[in-house]
Amino acid sequence: MSDKASSKRRHENPSNLIKLLRNHRKDALKSLARMLFSPLSSSMTVIVIAAALLLPSLLFAFNTNIAALLGEFQNNARIVLYLTRGTSDTQALEVSNSLLTSNAIDSVDFISNEEALLSFSDAAGFSQIVADFEANPLPASIVITPNLAGLAELDQLAASLDQIPEVELVQVDSLWLRRLAAISELLVLAARVLGLIVLLSLCFIIGNTVRSHIENRRDEIKIIKLVGGTHSYIARPFLYIGLFYGLLGGLLASLLQALIFLSFRNPLNEIFSLYDSSFTLPLLAPAMLITLAFSGATIGWLAAIISAYRYVNAIST
Amino acid sequence: MISFDKVSKQYISGQYALAGVSFEIAKGQMAFVTGHSGAGKSTLLKLVLATEKCSSGNVVVNGTDLNHIRRREIPSFRRRIGMVFQDHQLLNDRSVADNVALPLDISGFSRRDALRRVRAALDKVGLLSKEKKFPAALSGGEQQRVGIARAVVNRPSIILADEPTGNLDPELSMETMEVFEQFKNVGVSLLIASHDISLINRMEYRTLILKGGALIGDTGLGELS
Repeated sequence: MSDKASSKRRHENPSNLIKLLRNHRKDALKSLARMLFSPLSSSMTVIVIAAALLLPSLLFAFNTNIAALLGEFQNNARIVLYLTRGTSDTQALEVSNSLLTSNAIDSVDFISNEEALLSFSDAAGFSQIVADFEANPLPASIVITPNLAGLAELDQLAASLDQIPEVELVQVDSLWLRRLAAISELLVLAARVLGLIVLLSLCFIIGNTVRSHIENRRDEIKIIKLVGGTHSYIARPFLYIGLFYGLLGGLLASLLQALIFLSFRNPLNEIFSLYDSSFTLPLLAPAMLITLAFSGATIGWLAAIISAYRYVNAIST
Repeated sequence: MISFDKVSKQYISGQYALAGVSFEIAKGQMAFVTGHSGAGKSTLLKLVLATEKCSSGNVVVNGTDLNHIRRREIPSFRRRIGMVFQDHQLLNDRSVADNVALPLDISGFSRRDALRRVRAALDKVGLLSKEKKFPAALSGGEQQRVGIARAVVNRPSIILADEPTGNLDPELSMETMEVFEQFKNVGVSLLIASHDISLINRMEYRTLILKGGALIGDTGLGELS
């Protein structure tokens, strides 16, 4: 048989996959056309979906940046070792040198009690009072810059430093970091709870929209069932409707989020710089925006599956 | 092709729509089902199309035992049957060609192949010139013929028709019957529910007579191919 003849036969008897793809393309286009046929109600639905997606997404983005900010501050955390009164400068320097051998410590800075007193009188403006002291009341200290990622490791290091005989007191400047970390954890929790609520709400909104589309075409569905339409054939256009609503809602939410970040970026960066932080609010990563759109599409598709399964099956012939 | 063995259909109210009906329709046979309103004609067709299940007895269509058919098997079963409805059941937002193409669309035919078959079916019922019109622009008789074209476009082995001439004048009724005869002549089995006695008498085909759900007569007039 010639190639031309076999090509013609293939064209007339396409594989099931080709038939399926052809039907999907057709249904997708029809569903889009149906949405465009009623632009006002479709737009309203898309806006509601976008607003619902935007809130948890913003919380997640906000928290991601707080975590980054927290990381930067953690890198700047310091541990101060106040040495016992009898410790000589030589002993203190020996301690400093031995500390530098630890991987957990980036650098050390020894401050003798004389230097401390000088610094105190200069900084506080109590030079007259300091001059009246019979003896220097301030201890020598070692300021440590740790080379650690988390607060737990910082605590561990502080505990081990407390075991050094020459050390009277270990002071870790981390209370406010802990507060920020706790707020960050709370935000993660809030975003998760809100995400779950939004997920359920979106399922309800999209499911209900799909149900309304099904109800509008009830007679048509009955006829299609009578002439042998399968559940998937009948449901497919509605699944695309759910998918498109979710996708468009997700894209709009991405756009809004990008705009919000853009408008808040400069004022926030100015605040960070006032706190001597090199942290700058980044522009939203394209991956995050794509994730948001993809999430919307997935939720829309799943909600439509549930709705179509329920309501198409309920239509009897 | 169609076998009813002591088939009864009882509704929840307790009323029998069919009671102990038995008959067989062979391949290429054309038969009428007649009786007054409420005699059970439509119920009988619904059982053949698997839109309802019998309460007792056995219904076998195209070799499929409808008492044991699975829900997911019903669509493919129905695609092998062409059904002509009394109220046409056309989609008003689709053109004549799109209405007729519906079974082909479900079966996954390409637009080009479907259109070729649709035109052949419309030609057969004399409506080729109206393929782009919408059902609302057609007369009752024309709508009925669109329904017939849709029923035959998928080349079914069985055609069921529920009062296919109910809205037609005698001349159009005969034309419709002639279309049905053409399908019978190529081996399609036809079961036509009608209360038009004069038409049935003129056609001289086998006739099943129902009364109160019971089969009270079977003329058995041949036409077995």
